Amino acid sequence: MTDHVSFPDAVQWAVPFFIAAILAEFLWIAVKGQGGRYETRDAVTSLIMGAGNIASGFLLGFIAYAFFMWLWQITPLNLGTSIPVIILCFVLDDLRYYWVHRFGHRIRWVWASHVNHHSSQHYNLTTALRQTWTYTFTFMMVVRAPLILLGFHPAMVLFVGGLNLIYQFWIHTEAIGKMPRWFEAVMNTPSHHRAHHGRNARYLDCNYAGVFIIWDKLFGTFVPEQEDDKVDYGLVHNIGTFNPLRVAFHEWVGIWKDATQPGLTLRQRLAYCFAPPGYSHDGSRDSSEQIKAKHLVRHPEDCGTPGFEQFDPQASATAPKRA
Amino acid sequence: MPLEILLGLVVGGIAGITLLLHLTGRSRLRLLTPETAQIQWLRHFPDDTVIDVTVAHDGHAALVRTETGAGLLWSFGADTVARHLLDFDRIDHPDGFEVQFHDFSTPRVLIHLDETECRHWQHLMEPA
Repeated sequence: MTDHVSFPDAVQWAVPFFIAAILAEFLWIAVKGQGGRYETRDAVTSLIMGAGNIASGFLLGFIAYAFFMWLWQITPLNLGTSIPVIILCFVLDDLRYYWVHRFGHRIRWVWASHVNHHSSQHYNLTTALRQTWTYTFTFMMVVRAPLILLGFHPAMVLFVGGLNLIYQFWIHTEAIGKMPRWFEAVMNTPSHHRAHHGRNARYLDCNYAGVFIIWDKLFGTFVPEQEDDKVDYGLVHNIGTFNPLRVAFHEWVGIWKDATQPGLTLRQRLAYCFAPPGYSHDGSRDSSEQIKAKHLVRHPEDCGTPGFEQFDPQASATAPKRA
Repeated sequence: MPLEILLGLVVGGIAGITLLLHLTGRSRLRLLTPETAQIQWLRHFPDDTVIDVTVAHDGHAALVRTETGAGLLWSFGADTVARHLLDFDRIDHPDGFEVQFHDFSTPRVLIHLDETECRHWQHLMEPA
């Protein structure tokens, strides 16, 4: 199939909106004295990461696009570009996003790319733009393959992916509390995504949704934001640099240092690359499960509450994960 | 979108927002007290038991002694970052000293201390 289909690059066209919305949020916070925080170097780092993400798309995007076009050549299916097909593509691509995002938190190789998005201790609209420069190296483009093989044109798949990212921009704010109940039930919202950005034990590895929160409810990863557990933004081990190069590459460097240390088995080296973040061959680090279990030892009253439903503090706090 | 317009928007947007934030006082470093430093340490390391906290006179760093050893907490923009003092080099500096962590994500921090503080902190940082 070599038909010519073109869609606009939605993310590029949204740049003026991003800038205007950041200014509006900043003014809102300044006038109201609540609804979030801004800090100069944090915000600049986030904005530079966003610019770098667009640049990496220019430089490396051809790799994914060539792969998609090859898939498009071999698939016998073509669903066309009608509005219902675009809507279906959007919904299925959001399911794709859920799983890529979940892999991004549970596979260190993919986390190395995604970690920078969580590296700010702030949560405002600039945080939304703190995006990866190294997504191509995760090879997560393969998760889009089924969509193209099903007959969705690569240009359409990339277009709806752009719309998905644009949707997620506005949910990176503390200026909005809760949306109407029906909206909170179906859609990803500022409240749901604040929980996702939390480093509190309760909020680790939850709310991976892009647009529709139903995926988290379906796959058992939904944790609602709790009024009595204010979200503490950032990483379990917060980084101490505003240097965009260090922000972009620090976890890749960490993988390299861990996986190449002497005296490890091949299985341990692979685990440093692909096991969930927090893996260590000697049990010297905590996985998110162990962090949750240790929290429950300190706060047994949280047992059974959202984010802690499936954890036995006695069993998992003492058992280091080894490969 | 034409590349030159996109480039102008991105560069102009970043520059404008940076200027706005700086001129409205959003570049101030967080100030620490012994109480806030302890709270911040436990935020970073909830499993620790803090023995005592020594805050630098400029309020931008604190030496925290815990049951598992000493650690450093410092202002990082409006927030804080903390590290246990396990794998580091302490380098003398005219304004105090620089701590170099062997960590790509947190390479170094300059701690501003006067002469008396410097001697005191050096003593506190020595392994027990």
